[in-house]
Amino acid sequence: MQPLLKVENLVKLYAARRSARSKDKLAALDGVSLSIPSGETLALVGESGSGKSTLALCIACLETPTSGSLSFEGLDVATLDENQLRLIRPQIQLVFQDPVSSLNSRWTALDIVSEPFLVQRRFTKPDRAVRALQLLDRVAIPRRLAGRRPDELSGGQKQRLAIARALALEPKLIILDEALSALDCSVQAQISNLLLELQSSLGLTYLFITHDFAMAAHLADQIAVMDRGRIVESGPAEKVLSAPRHEATRSLLAATARFVGSPSVLVTA
Amino acid sequence: MRYLLRRALHAVFLLFGASLLTFLFSALTPGNYFDEMRLNPQISPETVAALHAQYQLDRPLPVRYAHWLNAVAHGELGFSFAYNSPVAPLLWVRARNTLLLTVTATLLAWFIALPLGVWSAARFGRAPDRVLSWTTATLLVVPDLVLALGLLILAVRTGWFPTGGLVSVGFDELSPFHKLRDLASHMTLPVAALVLATLPMLVRHVRASVAEVLDAPYLRAARSHGIPRRKLLYGYALRAAANPLISLFGFSVGALLSGSLLVEVVMSWPGLGPLLLESILARDLYVVIGGVLLSMIFLVAGNLFADVLLYWADPRIRTVASPK
Amino acid sequence: MSQRRKLTKWLVVLVFLHCIVAGAGFFAPYDPVEQDRERPYLPPMRVHLMDAQNHLHLRPFFYSLRLRTGSFDQYEEDTATIVPLKFFEHGVVYHLLGFAPAHLHLFGASGARIYLLGSDAYGRDQLSRILYGGQVSLLAGLLGAGITLFLGALVGMAAGYYGGWRDELLMRVAELFLALPWLYLLFALRAFLPLAVSPLEAFLLVVVVIGMVGWARPARLVRGVVLSVKERDFVRAARGFGASDIYLLRRHILPETASVLLTQAAILVPQFVLAEMTLSFLGLGVPEPMSSWGSLLASLQQYSVLVSYWWMYLPALAIVPFFLGYLGLASALQHRTSLYKIEEQGGWNLS
Repeated sequence: MQPLLKVENLVKLYAARRSARSKDKLAALDGVSLSIPSGETLALVGESGSGKSTLALCIACLETPTSGSLSFEGLDVATLDENQLRLIRPQIQLVFQDPVSSLNSRWTALDIVSEPFLVQRRFTKPDRAVRALQLLDRVAIPRRLAGRRPDELSGGQKQRLAIARALALEPKLIILDEALSALDCSVQAQISNLLLELQSSLGLTYLFITHDFAMAAHLADQIAVMDRGRIVESGPAEKVLSAPRHEATRSLLAATARFVGSPSVLVTA
Repeated sequence: MRYLLRRALHAVFLLFGASLLTFLFSALTPGNYFDEMRLNPQISPETVAALHAQYQLDRPLPVRYAHWLNAVAHGELGFSFAYNSPVAPLLWVRARNTLLLTVTATLLAWFIALPLGVWSAARFGRAPDRVLSWTTATLLVVPDLVLALGLLILAVRTGWFPTGGLVSVGFDELSPFHKLRDLASHMTLPVAALVLATLPMLVRHVRASVAEVLDAPYLRAARSHGIPRRKLLYGYALRAAANPLISLFGFSVGALLSGSLLVEVVMSWPGLGPLLLESILARDLYVVIGGVLLSMIFLVAGNLFADVLLYWADPRIRTVASPK
Repeated sequence: MSQRRKLTKWLVVLVFLHCIVAGAGFFAPYDPVEQDRERPYLPPMRVHLMDAQNHLHLRPFFYSLRLRTGSFDQYEEDTATIVPLKFFEHGVVYHLLGFAPAHLHLFGASGARIYLLGSDAYGRDQLSRILYGGQVSLLAGLLGAGITLFLGALVGMAAGYYGGWRDELLMRVAELFLALPWLYLLFALRAFLPLAVSPLEAFLLVVVVIGMVGWARPARLVRGVVLSVKERDFVRAARGFGASDIYLLRRHILPETASVLLTQAAILVPQFVLAEMTLSFLGLGVPEPMSSWGSLLASLQQYSVLVSYWWMYLPALAIVPFFLGYLGLASALQHRTSLYKIEEQGGWNLS
């Protein structure tokens, strides 16, 4: 059974400022490999600067990797041109960390959620509105807020809106790039429960990027730890949490410890 | 140091580009303007042919540009058909007259604007400041053409100032003191027009920069140390607010040749402005190119000057410019 | 929000002023080209309520002017002839907004000529000429600003969005244009194009030339906005749906540039109106008989006019309320961003 997403040896180099020589290039991704089976959640944990967001952008086909392969449902997407990509894009969607930046503050909630339909030219105008309202229901945003602008919504509502927008095109894979990190603890709990519920009812696959192990523990089936552009440890969640092998993993675990006692307590939280 | 070299190189590049642009503009104009010359009975056909050959008007554009660049490098700016003389001496005389005006006006304007702006910023929001703000706003709203014409009418109706020209007839026979006085009286109106046109903006800038700085905690700390008010304002606040003002000063320097065109024409001051206008109307190609080039040199030099000043005055730029 | 109220206030002022000029036909008593060779250089007529016999009239009136004996350009009031001022008169036909014929004027004197602001060398009414001239000057300024902003937005968006060598090239060219003294550029451009053309052609030429000169600064500002918006996640998200470049530029990026463009418009329009005035004043702009504020001032270049006929200066003052309105509007638009933005534009200085 092939995984939904398979990344092999992905390398992404950025030219350092004012220099095009290859040895001056910054390797944001230095040979990353991972795979996610359909319907599961892979948590990608790492410090800022470890390359997590770059990986997210590459997988979402918003950045072109320098080398390596990226297969989605067995199809190599790194080599596709833009027209072909347009057909694949609905299947892979992103939810960003900062809703202030990811939602156009001049648009209403309804417009934001129906934008994917507009771009992909699906459905008639009235139809789009109907479906958009249904999406709002799905993420528990009251319909009366449909005409509001993002700055009139709370942090949690904004992220729900972003999630609703990501669901519009019925994707198979959703990449959540630190999507909960900017929220209050209680809101985080609500939204992660919403994510779990959506996953089970829609059969979604998540790539959940975070720097917080506690969140990863709550949502993930698999955990991969990233450090300076490389995956340094990966495996089933319980194993990584209870028996971390790499130093980076251990220091990240220590930093996000929110429990007293042995790590095994965390797994059952 | 490398930073300055980069800026200088940048300036040179700008000059080249702008000279190319000017050259292109004039070379690409519709109508071979030598045709007009040929129609002019006062210029013999041989002269036309000789000039035609000299300026190689049949050669392709890049060749002509290179040829012209070469001539410029030797200080040869071409030939004026209207004045029947080489362009360079013509330009220098007029440029000198313009600079006489603009340097005086610029110095005067800055000399007034700095203390006025600082004084106003120190009384920010209070009555004297508001009066000044209103005055500058009112002056700002009156464009320089309107100001210049208005002053001219004033002069004409009161008869207090001469209304045109550099000096009066019979200038050469005057004693040095009277010469100076004559020159000064002729300069008064144009300088007044220029100062009134630039002063409001300058004062507002100074006021804005200083006011922004006066609020800073480190200034309040300095005041609590008992540093006298004047030293505080000029020694501390003005220096901190200097950056945008230095850039502005660079612009002032840059505009020394080009900013007074209108005033010169209106007040009949024999500077670069009226010369350029005449030449443009007469299609006197090389005078126009030479004049524009000269003003551009000033503009670019002014910016470079501002860069150098900033570099010298603001230590932050020195550290940023040379990262270790 | 008091800032919003200020904005509205300035907008109202500007709209009001523009309406007066747009409705020049209604507000002006006469046709601007109508000459009266018998009354050259008439000074402004004074309105009276009390006549020479100290009777109060209910309707304001003028005295007709006659030449003072022994003088050729000094006039005095002829107290025997009373010319009453009538409102909402029917007068010469004009075309409102260029196409709707009408002949209702705000005021008139049943056929007699009254000169509220004096007359020029050909006996033409200065008030009418100023009002109609405003149409030319303002239109030139507005159209020119429109062209400049359009060019600037195009260049700014292309440079900011595509980046790379296109960006470098476009910004270098912009720097070049900024380095050129733009008044000179204006003159040179205008003069190197054919001088003797019909008024309409001259007008279009002026507009195009003005428009082509000032695009560099708006382009830089637009580019700045585009650069920052390009990195926003909602643009990324839209790309994630498969949005094309055009879609992103049109739906997300362009609206963000609106505030910059509007502020630039408020700053550029008066500058361009002034540029047109300057060109016309110097003979490089719109020729007779189409009057513009600049060409109305051209007669002041003659010493005799300067000395004796002060009312010929009045067209120069016509632009001042417009400058005030636009400056106020620009300030109000600027309040959100730094204090320096509008100051950085260098005000109205054309150099």
